[in-house]
Amino acid sequence: MSRLAMLFDASRCIGCKSCQVACKQWWGLPASETVQAGTYENPTDLEPNTWARVTFHEYEADGQFQWLFLAWGCVHCTQAACVDVCPTGALKHHALGFVSLEREACNGCGYCSQVCPFQVPRMETVNLLTGAARASKCTFCQDRATNGLTPACVKTCPPGALEWGERDALLEKAHARVEWLKSRGYAQAQVYGERELGGLGRLFVLTAPPEAYGLPANPQYSTLAASWQNVVQPLGYVAVAATTLGLAFNWLATRRARLSNLESVEPEATEEREA
Amino acid sequence: MATSTSTVTKPCKDRRQVLVMRFTAGERIAHWVHFIAFTILLGTGLFLYMPALRPFAVGEAGEASRLAHRAAAILFMAAPLIYLIWSPRDFFYSLREALTWGPDDLGWLRAAWGYYTRGDTARMPPQGKYNAGQKFNALTQIITFILFVVSGMIMWFGKGVVSPAVFVGSVIIHDLSMMATVALFILHIYLVAVHPLMRESITAMFEGTVTEEFAREHHGKWLAEQEQERVYRRCRDE
Repeated sequence: MSRLAMLFDASRCIGCKSCQVACKQWWGLPASETVQAGTYENPTDLEPNTWARVTFHEYEADGQFQWLFLAWGCVHCTQAACVDVCPTGALKHHALGFVSLEREACNGCGYCSQVCPFQVPRMETVNLLTGAARASKCTFCQDRATNGLTPACVKTCPPGALEWGERDALLEKAHARVEWLKSRGYAQAQVYGERELGGLGRLFVLTAPPEAYGLPANPQYSTLAASWQNVVQPLGYVAVAATTLGLAFNWLATRRARLSNLESVEPEATEEREA
Repeated sequence: MATSTSTVTKPCKDRRQVLVMRFTAGERIAHWVHFIAFTILLGTGLFLYMPALRPFAVGEAGEASRLAHRAAAILFMAAPLIYLIWSPRDFFYSLREALTWGPDDLGWLRAAWGYYTRGDTARMPPQGKYNAGQKFNALTQIITFILFVVSGMIMWFGKGVVSPAVFVGSVIIHDLSMMATVALFILHIYLVAVHPLMRESITAMFEGTVTEEFAREHHGKWLAEQEQERVYRRCRDE
């Protein structure tokens, strides 16, 4: 089966936050108490209990003020730093194309939350001393998606700004939409997520540059994170194998030298050899 | 060095029974605390390292093993403090030894192969309390101890405080330190428990003593030093 993806069309979004609520509803996530932060964003960041949220951005172009909305959550990278560093296998590339999270397998190490170039995974920390924690993030409703349903946010989106389907088809649609937007005067309209980090599972049609939405223009993650499990860790096996092999040779050499020493004379030593 | 360090006034019946005090109680306890902590740390650490051990790393088992890892980490950090507080004199003596390298250490390097394969002692210059190999082990232990503690503390308390690069760097430094110490650990176990010519050295870590003969053969310079001081000697079974 070809890769499934989500398309968010910012030009259709009305900032109603239905997606945010649908996500909480489907996953039974409680709301957190917040304070008025001088923005319509609420909460103002992703949280262990908030895997999807709408971000609001004020943007001025050609002397015209615009309000930009973005339905935000895990973007399901092809080159996913979180999957690369996860030591338990709780984070995986699912065959359907998204990054799945098995919460029961997570041991709360939090490496994913440190390396994600989008700062998506959030840790529900129970105890700093023991490190008891669980990672959480949008999984494209992995339970629904694997059963042929669309994710809860897509299902609920009133203006149809969110779509779910095969990635190639969605990309085609996204480019057509961008052309249409350009013809309507949105000179900056563009697709985001087609090639970033090997291609994202969450595609965006934007009416302004990514930075205006708080998105990194060129998201990257460190080679260190990518090489830890693939390059650094195998060195350990090499080190252990080389040491053991070297010592095995030493043992054989010592044994041989000792036997030939014993053979020369020493009657009491022969006993030892026989024993 | 409080007990069993009195000068032997009368000679032992058999020369082979002369025992020389090699490690004080403080040194031995610090060593075994370090050993226990290191084995627990290694075992629980490998759960996150080897895919085959993943069942121990996931979910609640993972949380339990992390707890054990952190408890052992405290023990690990306590070991050198036990050494310092219990046997300050030996602590600084050993530290100075490990940091002092001279011609005899070069000599050790040249003679090591023959010595460790054929037991060829003729070309081996007399060594101090620690030979060059042991000094190298001590230095690596000191350096990796610092790396382990600093990177471990960052992983424990620095999440979200330090930059992602520093955090990932710490994970990698922790792993590299592990590789270095595991290689040395295997070598260490081999030399004290498997190598046909070196086995007596392990009794020094259990009972604190070695025979004078072993001391002369393996740590001649140190034995001479001890003879001048006229301490650390007793006879077996007296």
